[in-house]
Amino acid sequence: MNLPSLTFTRYPPHHLVSPLYSKLPKATARGKSVDSVAIEARNLNFSFTAKQTKDVTVLRDCSIRIPSGQFWMLLGPNGCGKSTLLKILAGLLIPTSGTVYVNGPKSFVFQNPDHQVVMPTVDSDVAFGLGKVNLADDEVRSRVSQALHAVGLSDYMKRSVQTLSGGQKQRVAIAGALAEACKVLLLDELTTFLDETDQVGVIKAVRNCLDTSEEVTALWVTHRLEELEYADGAIYMEDGKVVMHGDATRIRSFIEDRQSAYINQINS
Amino acid sequence: MNCNHATFLLVSLPSPPPHVLFPKFHFSVPKKTLLTSKLKRNAILRIKASNDDNGQSANWSKWIPKDTFSGDKVFRLISSATASPIGQFVSSPTTFLHSIDPRVKLVWLLVLVVLPARSHIIMRFGLVAYLTLLSIWILPRNAWMDQLGRVYFLSALLFITLGLSSDGVPALVQSRTPPSVMTGLPNLPISLTGYSYVISKLGPLTFTRKGLSVGSTVACLTFTVFQSASLCLTTTTPEQLASALRWFMLPLRYIGVSVSEIVLTLLLSLRFISLVFDEVRNIALGIVSRRVNWKQLTVMETIDIFFNYFRRIFKNIFSHAEQISQAMIARGFKGNVDNHKIYFLSESSFGMADIACLLNLTVVIGASLLSEYYLV
Repeated sequence: MNLPSLTFTRYPPHHLVSPLYSKLPKATARGKSVDSVAIEARNLNFSFTAKQTKDVTVLRDCSIRIPSGQFWMLLGPNGCGKSTLLKILAGLLIPTSGTVYVNGPKSFVFQNPDHQVVMPTVDSDVAFGLGKVNLADDEVRSRVSQALHAVGLSDYMKRSVQTLSGGQKQRVAIAGALAEACKVLLLDELTTFLDETDQVGVIKAVRNCLDTSEEVTALWVTHRLEELEYADGAIYMEDGKVVMHGDATRIRSFIEDRQSAYINQINS
Repeated sequence: MNCNHATFLLVSLPSPPPHVLFPKFHFSVPKKTLLTSKLKRNAILRIKASNDDNGQSANWSKWIPKDTFSGDKVFRLISSATASPIGQFVSSPTTFLHSIDPRVKLVWLLVLVVLPARSHIIMRFGLVAYLTLLSIWILPRNAWMDQLGRVYFLSALLFITLGLSSDGVPALVQSRTPPSVMTGLPNLPISLTGYSYVISKLGPLTFTRKGLSVGSTVACLTFTVFQSASLCLTTTTPEQLASALRWFMLPLRYIGVSVSEIVLTLLLSLRFISLVFDEVRNIALGIVSRRVNWKQLTVMETIDIFFNYFRRIFKNIFSHAEQISQAMIARGFKGNVDNHKIYFLSESSFGMADIACLLNLTVVIGASLLSEYYLV
């Protein structure tokens, strides 16, 4: 099995750059000091050539900057390039141009948990990501147990993945990311397939993880404005461009203003 | 049976006569034809059967099932099927079989596959009874009823079919003993102990000792293979099974076999099976929810839907495979199995229960071997 290796540009670990588009939301976010950057992308462009069309441009000159230890959300209409940007940050896609820095180690959680969960039983799936580092079995057990506890699935260690609900599978996927003790979590529309209870359960699990560890940063792609209440900052995209970047409350009111303007336009 | 079968293409009448037979599907007529447009629309295919013996028609045709095949029924059946594949691991209640070392279970499985074919009929039925009692004891009520019901039905079907058909071919052409008139020897005397080769006669069907032997062997083998595998799968996680297989295959490394790759492939396959089941069910559900009017479709249109169904299944499965491989890359798998450790977190250790199981197995094997000599 020869799978392509990952390729992405890395900045030096403590390289700091000035904020882009808007200033950083606060000097402190939820009591944590903001003194370093966890994710940064500069002038990213991404395009591909489809069979029937010519070049399709997905991202146009996107630049973002997310401070370390914060929970940020990425919003925008369908097809605006959110998931593509996230995959570039994860190293799953190579940008056409631009530079990317993501603090490591990082984890990517897919929108559909059936794509993320690769092992038949819960505990072995959570441990799968640890296979790249050679750890003692006791250490692995401890990490798996802690990760499952963090997402509220301590009693599900030996359960078959197939018997879990969508929300539980999603939490297993997050536990897999947490077990790796990663510094950056890249989360792609985790709540899409979930009911309201599971949506809150999953987002609280991520928030809880960030609150207990100062080093973990999360970037969460979503369509739901109500989830912004859990975020420290947000990025709004449209048509492959970053339109706004900054405080979650400001982004929320910006989107709500746009929605009301659109509704007024229809009604008039 | 001297039957002549004839197929006629007829134009339809306002009220079809009672001998109009299955299949009664509409078909498309070429545009340029001598038939009028009205007749074209109403053209139907009719099959008629006649019997030369008495001139009466269609006596077999009433046996042909009508309206049994319908796309709607097929897709409804698929969409309502259970999402759980057969033999899924049951984590609770935890029984003593859950605590047995998976390597011991694999040895038991292997022995149970071999024994029914190599032991006396009493031993075969004894193994069936043993597995039945074990299943009832170990598994939850709904699980054992479901499993045993299916496996007993299949085994009974095989027993009846093979029992009655193994001597179905007339023995005249198979006889290896010349008749007594040719040899000048007297006929073989009737057994004084009551032995009879033919056990019972059911009309044209004969149930003989050969039928009993063949039927019981195949039925018991089927039962033990299916039920022991089900018992093993319901009490062992896929990872435990994979680790046991890995243990048995480790010596193969010395002849260049990539054991790690086989084990990882096995684990991924076990995970993927459930996704395939879900995909097959969900796409069928999607078709049912479209409320297709199957009666209005031509045969080709029905076939087209089925082809599209299979095409969609394969497309989605390949998409799943691609996404899973991407997820594996994102989770640190670089393509080399030897550089990515798979953790088997089960805490099974070889204990007294495992030793007792192996002793029990030795007794069963011994009894089976002795049965060949003493229970003739």
